[in-house]
Amino acid sequence: MELQWPLIAFTTLVAWSAGLFASQSLMALVGAGKKSQMAAWVASAVLLAVGGIAVFFHLEHWERIFNGFGHLTSGITQELIAIVVLAVVAVVYLVMMRKSPDGASVPKWLAGVSIAVCVVLVAVMAHSYTMAARPAWDSVLWILYVLGNACVLGSATMAVVMSLKGDDVKPVALPALVGSALAAVTAIAFAAFLQASGGSFAEVGFYFDPTHPTKAMADAGAAASAQAPLLWGGAVAVGALVPLAAAFMGKRTSNWKLWGAIAVAAALVGAVCLRIVFYNLGLSVFMFY
Amino acid sequence: MTQYAIITDLNRCVGCLACMVACKAVNNVPIGSYWNKVLRIGPSLKEGATSSRDVEMYYLPVGCQHCADPECVKVCPTGASHKLEDGTVQIDKSKCIGCQFCAMACPYNVRYLNEEERVVEKCTLCEQIVGQGGLPQCVIQCGGRARFFGDKEKGIESFEAPAVGYDVDRSYDNLYTGNRVTLGELAQDFDEATDLHRLPDVGNGPEFSFILRNREWKGGE
Repeated sequence: MELQWPLIAFTTLVAWSAGLFASQSLMALVGAGKKSQMAAWVASAVLLAVGGIAVFFHLEHWERIFNGFGHLTSGITQELIAIVVLAVVAVVYLVMMRKSPDGASVPKWLAGVSIAVCVVLVAVMAHSYTMAARPAWDSVLWILYVLGNACVLGSATMAVVMSLKGDDVKPVALPALVGSALAAVTAIAFAAFLQASGGSFAEVGFYFDPTHPTKAMADAGAAASAQAPLLWGGAVAVGALVPLAAAFMGKRTSNWKLWGAIAVAAALVGAVCLRIVFYNLGLSVFMFY
Repeated sequence: MTQYAIITDLNRCVGCLACMVACKAVNNVPIGSYWNKVLRIGPSLKEGATSSRDVEMYYLPVGCQHCADPECVKVCPTGASHKLEDGTVQIDKSKCIGCQFCAMACPYNVRYLNEEERVVEKCTLCEQIVGQGGLPQCVIQCGGRARFFGDKEKGIESFEAPAVGYDVDRSYDNLYTGNRVTLGELAQDFDEATDLHRLPDVGNGPEFSFILRNREWKGGE
């Protein structure tokens, strides 16, 4: 199907925002990164807000959004509920942080709840795309992949913020490395699934569509092959392996300003590349209409 | 429970595209979009073919299948897409926010965004005609009398099409009421177990059926 740029931006930015909020919550849990808490919170909120604005560009009639909105089996409704819950938790987090003696601490239970809500939001958002009608999308590997996005983008961004704010970066080094490793594993797994998806569509052999007399027959296998360079070059090599190598170098040198920024930039490129492939291979199971 | 549907006897379909054109005309479907589209499936080698010229083919009219458990209804955030008591799946355009998740969730890709109204559209099974006792326009104007409309609860033998013959009143008004022939009366014998097919089902339960005798059905069920 056609590339849906607002949704590409939305899913990337929400994963980034939730990953960053979860990372700062993790740091709060271990009592680290106190100088960076406010900056990270603001950055996370801005990312979520920009993502929210982006998704409105996808809606043709956003002014009707409350015109019966709330059908619970809809992934969009579930996403909205998860975002509202996250926003409430984030506001509570901000208030508790501001009220704490050092202005940068939150109770451990709140940090734990924040991490859990972030995971739920990202999983719910990704889940809304798993549809039986689109074989290339219908996998738990996609949900794990978006969670992987959040792991690498959030932890690497937190490392950069902590580095810029003059916090001790040691506590974030291992989470950033583990986050980028999780992202790499999930990216490779989902890339393999996408590559193999060409065989999971209905086939009718030769056919002819009189409304498109000069158009070639739909060929899912060929479509999957055509996406291979973007998938393995962009999403896996640049988007998964470069951030992993950068996180490794960051942990080794503690120069997170450089290596963290490289990891974030590469992970963003990868996230966009994979989403382009995602839409290009998002063919319906009966794809001849 | 009432479930309106269309059954197409593919052995009678001559690929005239009249259903496709009639649908566009009566429902004002935008240029480039279709509520009903006829595909030619094949040519394919016959079972036991001895030469490359030993082939078969059939025409397949595809549109909304007015599913039993429609995926499009499940994913709609506003309830704009909904299933009526007559079994048809309809879109309340005033509720549609144009998110197009229903179009993504449809296994047959038969929904599209109307660029002018900025809402999603698809086959309504001509509810404006059926509500007055008529037949969907694609059934009325089927050139091969291959399409039959009816309620699945009453059995597919009871599905109706306009009557054929030199002595019937074929005036335009009479196309809408009366003057009917049933599938049971007109269609040649078929085996429901082997000759009655549906489009691929991924849990949505397509309600439209296709009769195809003596040829291999393509595309799974």
